[in-house]
Amino acid sequence: MGLEEFRDDMTTCCRCSACKFVPLETLKGYDHVNICPSISRFDYRAFSGGGRLGIGVALLDKQLDYSSPKLREIIYNCQMCGACDVSCKYAMDMEVLEPMNAIRSEMVKHGNAPPALDKMITSLKNGGPMLLEGNAGQGEWASKLGVKDYTKQSVQVIYHAGCRTRHDKTRWAVAQQTVKLMQKANIDVGIAMDEPCCGGRAYQMGYQTEAADKARSNMESINKLGAKTLVTGCAECYFAFKVLYDKFGVKGDFEVLHTSEFFNRLVQQGKLKPTKKVNLTVTYHDPCHLGRQGEPYIHWKGQRVPGQLIIFDPPKEFRRGTKGVYEPPRELLQSIPGLKLVEMDRHKEFAWCCGSGGGVIETNPEYALWTATERINEAASTKAEAVVTGCPGCESLFETAIRKNNKNLKVYDIVEILAMATL
Amino acid sequence: MIVEKLSQLLGKENVEFKPDILESFSRDLSFVSPIRPAYVVKVKNLEEVQNLVKIANETQTPLIPVSSGAPHFRGDTVPGTGGAVIVDLSGMKRVIHISRKHRMAMFEPGVTFGELISAVAKEGLRLNIPLAPRRSKSVLGSLLEREPVVMPIYHWDISDPSGCFEITFGNGELFRTGAAAGSGTIEEQWAAGGSQKEAAGPSSASWYRLIQGAQGTMGIVTWGTARCEILPKLEEPYFIGSSNLENITNALHWLVRLRLANECLVLNNVDVAALLANNGTEFQKIKTSLTPWILFFNIAAYDYYPEERIKGQMEDMNGVAKKIGVQAVKTLGKIHANEFLKIIQQPSSEPYWKIRIQGACQDIFFLTIYEKLDELIKTMHEEADKIGFTTTNIGIYLQPIVQGVNCHCEFNLFYNPLNAAETDKVKQLNSIATRSLMEKGAFFSRPYGENTSLIMNRDAATVAALKKVKQITDPKHIMNPGKLCF
Amino acid sequence: MTLNKEQYTAFEDIVGPEYISSDPAILFSYSWRSGLYAPPQDFSPLFEAIILPHTNEEIQAIVKLSNKFKLQFKASSTGWGPYNDATAPGCVKLDLRRMNRIIEINVKNMYAVVEPGVIGTQLQAECMKLGLNCNQNGAGTNCSASPIVGHCGFGHLSQSGSYGERNQLALEWITPEGELVCFGSLGSTGAWFCGDGPGPSLRGAVRGNVVPMGGLGVFTKAATKLYHWPGPTSVELEGVSPSYVPTSIDNHFLIRIYSFPDMEMMDQAQRKIGEAEIAYELMGFNKGMAASNIATSNEEMLKLHAEFSNLLTDFCLMVIIGGYSARDFEYKTKVLNQIAIDTQGKSLTKISDDPEVAAGCMWRWLRPTASIREVFRATGCFAGEVGGTDVFRLMADYIVETAKVKQKMINDKLIFDDGAPPFTQSIEHGHYGHGELLIRYIPNPSNWAGMMDFMAKANEIAIKQHFGVPGHVFSDMQHDIYGPHVMNYHKWLRKIKKSFDPNGASEGSHHITVKE
Ligand SMILES: Cc1cc2nc3c(=O)[nH]c(=O)nc-3n(C[C@H](O)[C@H](O)[C@H](O)COP(=O)(O)OP(=O)(O)OC[C@H]3O[C@@H](n4cnc5c(N)ncnc54)[C@H](O)[C@@H]3O)c2cc1C
Ligand code: SF4
Ligand code: SF4
Repeated sequence: MGLEEFRDDMTTCCRCSACKFVPLETLKGYDHVNICPSISRFDYRAFSGGGRLGIGVALLDKQLDYSSPKLREIIYNCQMCGACDVSCKYAMDMEVLEPMNAIRSEMVKHGNAPPALDKMITSLKNGGPMLLEGNAGQGEWASKLGVKDYTKQSVQVIYHAGCRTRHDKTRWAVAQQTVKLMQKANIDVGIAMDEPCCGGRAYQMGYQTEAADKARSNMESINKLGAKTLVTGCAECYFAFKVLYDKFGVKGDFEVLHTSEFFNRLVQQGKLKPTKKVNLTVTYHDPCHLGRQGEPYIHWKGQRVPGQLIIFDPPKEFRRGTKGVYEPPRELLQSIPGLKLVEMDRHKEFAWCCGSGGGVIETNPEYALWTATERINEAASTKAEAVVTGCPGCESLFETAIRKNNKNLKVYDIVEILAMATL
Repeated sequence: MIVEKLSQLLGKENVEFKPDILESFSRDLSFVSPIRPAYVVKVKNLEEVQNLVKIANETQTPLIPVSSGAPHFRGDTVPGTGGAVIVDLSGMKRVIHISRKHRMAMFEPGVTFGELISAVAKEGLRLNIPLAPRRSKSVLGSLLEREPVVMPIYHWDISDPSGCFEITFGNGELFRTGAAAGSGTIEEQWAAGGSQKEAAGPSSASWYRLIQGAQGTMGIVTWGTARCEILPKLEEPYFIGSSNLENITNALHWLVRLRLANECLVLNNVDVAALLANNGTEFQKIKTSLTPWILFFNIAAYDYYPEERIKGQMEDMNGVAKKIGVQAVKTLGKIHANEFLKIIQQPSSEPYWKIRIQGACQDIFFLTIYEKLDELIKTMHEEADKIGFTTTNIGIYLQPIVQGVNCHCEFNLFYNPLNAAETDKVKQLNSIATRSLMEKGAFFSRPYGENTSLIMNRDAATVAALKKVKQITDPKHIMNPGKLCF
Repeated sequence: MTLNKEQYTAFEDIVGPEYISSDPAILFSYSWRSGLYAPPQDFSPLFEAIILPHTNEEIQAIVKLSNKFKLQFKASSTGWGPYNDATAPGCVKLDLRRMNRIIEINVKNMYAVVEPGVIGTQLQAECMKLGLNCNQNGAGTNCSASPIVGHCGFGHLSQSGSYGERNQLALEWITPEGELVCFGSLGSTGAWFCGDGPGPSLRGAVRGNVVPMGGLGVFTKAATKLYHWPGPTSVELEGVSPSYVPTSIDNHFLIRIYSFPDMEMMDQAQRKIGEAEIAYELMGFNKGMAASNIATSNEEMLKLHAEFSNLLTDFCLMVIIGGYSARDFEYKTKVLNQIAIDTQGKSLTKISDDPEVAAGCMWRWLRPTASIREVFRATGCFAGEVGGTDVFRLMADYIVETAKVKQKMINDKLIFDDGAPPFTQSIEHGHYGHGELLIRYIPNPSNWAGMMDFMAKANEIAIKQHFGVPGHVFSDMQHDIYGPHVMNYHKWLRKIKKSFDPNGASEGSHHITVKE
């Protein structure tokens, strides 16, 4: 959607700063009041959700020019983590993240997106992954698993590993364990040796057309397969298949589940039995695209009712981050014998972003690392021995942050924990 | 000649220049160097005050407003320069307005505590008063001095219980502070339902704060309002005696924090004796019968279920006392808490308790926090030792103010003014101790007398800012020159 | 006007290149207009530069340079209201968000010291850990925790926690000419417990019942009084935003909304509750505010508003009791019930019978977080009448009078129709009061013209009917309207401004300027 469509949302911004902070009811101390990595790192109001909306209005009013280098710096030093959107919508009936996406889209249209991102999009358009580095072979990770190739054989469950897993050897173990766990539970699972990129990250970076094109072409082929479920261990892929594709009107005839949801069900149903003790105190990091942004898309088409109140015809239900995937990973962790789960101050809908989203890891790795370091310190303050999460993007950045800060923390994908207790 | 102008304005009978009267205003019980005023004038109303200030501006005559009757203690009404006119406001004795509904009273400068206490009591109200003020003490004077008061829970702000003031600034302009500024006359404000209670403002300045603590250097106040509290239905006073100051301050902290006590203050045995005794023998007897520290507090209840409230508060209070390891009792030595309560709810009996036994008293007082008290008291004692002033004769009064945020700490040096050697000791101690206490962090927020410049000089930035304010209100420096930093 | 190279470099030398910007993209994000008193224009005039200082020394240097370059400066903490904005070219912004430390919390003497970038939530959360609480700006705990930064500083907690003017202790002030003045005990001893003296209190020069709105230098640290907190050290919540349900706060706490037959009964109840000293919070809450607070969307708010309209009159009080002990709670509850009977107060069952709604409201009002829902969700903008302070009834009556003018605007469809009942605040156990009239509107030229007309009438009412100087009176224009009727206070205020800011460097359009 064009930026103009969000004028009303943007001009509803009252400048309250709530988008800089966790929902204030939740705060338990001085620390961890901030929710927005961007303003926390760069300090000028421009870097907050509200500041970005003000900029959006200035762009619409032609007060600002899309070609400005500072504008690019502001717009792209943001993880599109959506935390501002949640904090704002605690109180307000307005969109924050959507207009921010629209601004990025305009930046792309005006040719002022960071060059590093253009490079990735070229790769995407050519059928490649959205990665600047990491080039492990396509289906190599699964070569010894004896798992079906869903492009060739029909399967009930598609396991979509995602670019960040497939092309990074250090993540392979998670994908392999995922398949093994499924196999243990007798799931009819298949993977694609030549797995397509979901294209979800293109959307966050402002390449909406490219993302939509990718969504359509992916769904054309996947829908034909007749699978009942698509499971992914990547929060960004999850968001793409579940939320974005729905938004693009190409929702598949299958259920999209994150590994944490899928395996939690299997455990609850008794199809997987985590029996081995895992003596660990862990804290769980909610990936932005599984947590607050993982809530189902709500289709709405209508308009604001004229008059002195912001209401809509038909009534509009806002996505406020309320229905993200929060409980399944926690339930799953709690089902692991010996494991103790402690929460970080900022969790669920107001979790602090890992730092890698929105193209930041590619365009400003220093800022990405700064963001991850903040999270790692928060995790360490819980006295947990490990951070568990459900997204390869978060995991690799956390590992870097831990290494660089000499912290004594481990990072696990939630599947790895289940595998320890089950395989 | 100014005397003619004054006589014309105020009537001859109200312009005094008899030597003995001038002499009486040239000095007080402080160690401030005496300077004789040129005249003492009695004013009766605002109009006279305004005209007087006008004349003073025209003739560059210093004016020294005085509301209380003698004896004065702090040197603030002793002229700082020659040729001054004492403006005696003690004859302005109207209690202008009392509102039970809004819990406030409005009164003129000459109204004393005894007078106002009984006037407001008739309406079911009470004042938050200083500890046993002298009979002649003006209520307004006390408000203007930011004098500490005995009910800390009703002392939300250091300016309490002040409300609004009517003031003729040194430049001759009339101003009403806070809500009293208007719009409209006071009568129109009453008719609208207003009550001149909000002290702050109008808008983004709080003039009352600049008038308080100024020792008459900003202008002449012709009435003020005070916030009142309602008279309790029931009261249950107690003592806690202890030799452990930390226990005492812990108890103070919790009694105030949990709003368990109305009157709430700490005295050492010397001050309790001074308050109660009628002569030296009694003084000694009482003093030796008491623990070093005496915390006095009063649990009170109002209209709704008073018995239940008292009982409950007592339970909670006993809980606090138990935790701290102290015990609340009704009598200490031969003193009953109920009698003590009566004493501190009124002005002092005559003669004034601070001079009753020995004839004179020099107070050293400052603000601090509980954790510093021990060190500061020690410092005072060390300095007294050095000078040879018997430390066991120093009265100590600790008054939590601003709801326990600050502690007013007051050392009362009782002495015989006829004994030159003793007087000299006290004089020396006053300045040496002030310096040492300041070095240890005591905050002398209300500097009086000969220590003033020592105190003010510590904070040059504040002095510079205060001078700017003074320049606004009294550009010709006619108001009480020589005081504070002006 | 834009800063010339010499000027920019001089500022840059003070804070470093990272913390100054004149880029339009940065400037526009600061000049997007506030939702408060929002005019039809999208943007206020641009600042010449945004500077993010970190220390007193930096601020002093910036202020001195501003004087030298004949520029103006304006400080802000969270920068919410329109008074944070430039009104003309030639002004630099000092965004103080990097100055965000809690310097001290003293438990035994119950005070805290904060920098302006600390928000109310942070200070409250730290205090609660120690069994203490601090007053909060009624706008919400997203505002600065400093007692001298918000507009008046009243809020939900003012019944037991007073307000900024009276909670202020020692203060660090950088004057409009760049001098550092430390008030009270701070200047003499380096400690924070007292803000007054030696001698007269400079607190009187830097604020009244409202603050100088950026027009009188920069306040870099401030101490504030703390109060007892009878609740848990932290509050556990269930649920996900926007619907949190506190699970640990019910002990010794109770919340009620009472509806009274008329103003007289409501006023009596306010006074009786005050005199009995039983309320932790006491506010005149109206149905529109209650509906907006409880609802998590405008749609839901409309439904609740309709429901409450049948149950509540225009004269309602919200009471929270916080028992200091089980027995204290029992006593206070008993007194409250009796007062309700004596004053014909009817309790809103939505609150008294639904523990989840009650707990939700209680926490949203103890840690005020829902004012944004209350005033901004409906339209994104609010304005209205912000009364002054004096006794409760006078302030309430003022709002009732101005509400008649609001009703006309509702009839003309210029603003959101939420009825026109007053919103009032009881302060210090009923000793003082404050009142406001909430007006929510979508800014366009005709609504804005209506608003201006309303404000003019509200001013006329205040002056003619002797309701005092309302809090919304800032700017030369407004002071000049009121001053002649109010002891010429505007002249005195201007004298302070002139004495401390001879060059008019501290942007004073929302305070007062040095013009004659
Ligand atoms: C929804 C809503 C409800 C409100 N309700 C209330 C209420 O109940 N009670 C109340 O008192 N106010 C209320 N207000 C006004 C509120 O106090 C102000 O909007 C204030 O701006 C809050 O933000 P802040 O405290 O962070 O100050 P800011 O917005 O940062 O600043 C407020 C003013 O102070 C100046 N300033 C800020 N910091 C400094 C500093 N360090 N030194 C010098 N000047 C500085 C700014 O220039 C500005 O003029 C309300 C406002 C809103 C929007
Ligand atoms: S985006 Fe929302 S939360 Fe942020 S300032 Fe605007 S209204 Fe407030
Ligand atoms: S999306 Fe995340 S990083 Fe970007 S502005 Fe919002 S909260 Fe900040």
